[in-house]
Amino acid sequence: MLSIKNLKAAVEDQVILNGINLDIKPGEVHAIMGPNGSGKSTLANVLAGREEYEVIEGSIDFLGEDLLEMEVDERAQAGIFLAFQYPVEIPGVNTATFLKQVINSVREARGEEELSAPEMLKLIREKAAMVDMDQSFLRRSLNEGFSGGEKKRNEMLQMALLEPKLAVLDETDSGLDIDALKIVSDAVNKMRSENRSFVIVTHYQRLLNYITPDYVHVLYKGRIVKSGDKNLALELEEKGYDWIKEEVEAASV
Amino acid sequence: MVTEEIKDKNIARFGVLFSDFEQQLNGHKQEPAHAFRRKAAKRLETLRFPTRRDEDYKYTSLARILNQEYSFPIEAEISEAQLQSLRIKGIDAIELVFVNGLFDESQSTLSDLPAGLTITTIEEALKDDQLKPFVEKHLHENADESNPFVVLNTAFAEGGLFVHVAKNAIIDRPIHLMHYNTATDQPFLFHPLRLFEVATGGQLSVIDTFDGADSASYFANVVNIFHVHANAHAFHYKLQNESETAFQINNTTAYQEQDSTYTNLALDLGGRIVRNNLNTIHRGQNITSNLYGALNINGDQHVDNQTFIDHAIPHCQSNELYKAVLDGKSNGVFNGKVMVRRDAQKTNAYQQNAALVLSDKANMDSKPQLEIYADDVKCSHGATIGQLDQTSMFYLRSRGMSEKTAKETLQYAFLIEVLEQIDNEAVQEKAEALLYQKFSK
Repeated sequence: MLSIKNLKAAVEDQVILNGINLDIKPGEVHAIMGPNGSGKSTLANVLAGREEYEVIEGSIDFLGEDLLEMEVDERAQAGIFLAFQYPVEIPGVNTATFLKQVINSVREARGEEELSAPEMLKLIREKAAMVDMDQSFLRRSLNEGFSGGEKKRNEMLQMALLEPKLAVLDETDSGLDIDALKIVSDAVNKMRSENRSFVIVTHYQRLLNYITPDYVHVLYKGRIVKSGDKNLALELEEKGYDWIKEEVEAASV
Repeated sequence: MVTEEIKDKNIARFGVLFSDFEQQLNGHKQEPAHAFRRKAAKRLETLRFPTRRDEDYKYTSLARILNQEYSFPIEAEISEAQLQSLRIKGIDAIELVFVNGLFDESQSTLSDLPAGLTITTIEEALKDDQLKPFVEKHLHENADESNPFVVLNTAFAEGGLFVHVAKNAIIDRPIHLMHYNTATDQPFLFHPLRLFEVATGGQLSVIDTFDGADSASYFANVVNIFHVHANAHAFHYKLQNESETAFQINNTTAYQEQDSTYTNLALDLGGRIVRNNLNTIHRGQNITSNLYGALNINGDQHVDNQTFIDHAIPHCQSNELYKAVLDGKSNGVFNGKVMVRRDAQKTNAYQQNAALVLSDKANMDSKPQLEIYADDVKCSHGATIGQLDQTSMFYLRSRGMSEKTAKETLQYAFLIEVLEQIDNEAVQEKAEALLYQKFSK
């Protein structure tokens, strides 16, 4: 599904990603862990196409297409979804209107028919119930005045509605209490399928108690320095990141 | 007797134009209305048009407007489709249609007016003993103004509108003034003059539409006078979507008595140069003045909002919210004066001006001017000028929205705060539709 080769990327001339290689097959859940500043969020943003992140080398193939040649919205239409670490508050944009608009624009791009008003309403209600989001939020401006948990719930709602092929969760769990964390993990688990893959960027192992990853990768200094299964996450939880850093430094001497 | 030399060549030009105008009036010169025109024409000779050396016109040059030659309004017909494009779905408005500034009675709906509402011309009102005192008073004042555009309007206005709302009459049908202007061989000039008197306890909504053919070229020199009596309420919404070769100077004064509300909202999307001069004069306690403006312009467009709120009396409120979206090489100006005089204790005055500048060549000049001489008041003002938020753009686009749609969505989101102040859902929807229409231009 996704194949990243020797990816190097910079923000404001500072190189953050230093040669990432990663292959993700349909249905797989990959967790990307690592200490602060290791490049986790940069990877998530590069996948979604954020313009401030400049790719200086390497390639990303998504379902046979050159992802780096695609605009932000084209990536979303092709099936990539980024759940933001800090969802943006946009006063004046009604949540329900926004959801209807993006659902239909993505459907149109995928060659599907636009939904009628009752179909749309039914779909949004159903998915809002799935992420346990109160209908009253739909009448409010996008994320405006939402609590941290409510914002993340709104991200999960958008993910459920857009039905991506690859969902990238950028530290979606940071700052969440256990109830909100369960909502995020429930949404992911309900959406797991053999055709849909997930990249879960997280600093903490806690989320992985609720979402069992197929692979865990540790990012450090812009490279994947260790990969393993879910046990690697448990090891990191127990021992912290220092032993990884030491291993890397020792190897580079 | 020696005639004083007129120094401003444009004033002199209008003097010549006035002689031509008088000639074509023939017998109508004997009517009472004409005495005011003559008085104004005389007054005009003593004035000069402001230049950029005048503080209030520092950011707006009138040269382009004044240097052009204009003909008198040129008669034209408009199609049902053109008229339909001005209408507002979902309201039962009293429609007054003006084509190139000339009243088109056949397209207007003046029959079956609601009880308590009188709509007539200023010429007719001057022949009516009951209506006369109000009209005379304001015409005298207008003819004696220091603002040359108001005086110019008084000198040339023909068939000006007089609207009277009787005591305690709540007029639930809005008056929709529908100006449609067509493309003509020569630019033309017209002077809409409207006097609105809302008697004690009365209520009136006025929708003021200016629209027309894309290449229509003219100068609309508009004067509105509202007299809102005690406990009366007047709502005045301007939806301006003119051609980008049109000029408009819009002079509006609201005289307010105690416990009254006057709300003015101007949506400016069209026009080459548009200047809104808006003054409110408080003459009693517990008055509310709401002044709102939204503009979305591009190319060479220039829109200037000048407001003046004179708080001379205690316990009054004013709310001002002006927002601008500027693209291309367009210019926006906001100059908001608020005076709180020494006796005007317990005044609440709120002013906010914000602009979104989308291109390197677009420009916003914002000048809030608060002069406060009373000590027990609540006054605030703020001015912000910014660009589209890139994080918001990325967020919207990451959900599959095209760059164009995301940009439009953020512009809409920025301006909707102003349009939400419209106290009529159908009118707000029309304003939003016009805004979206502007996006696709």
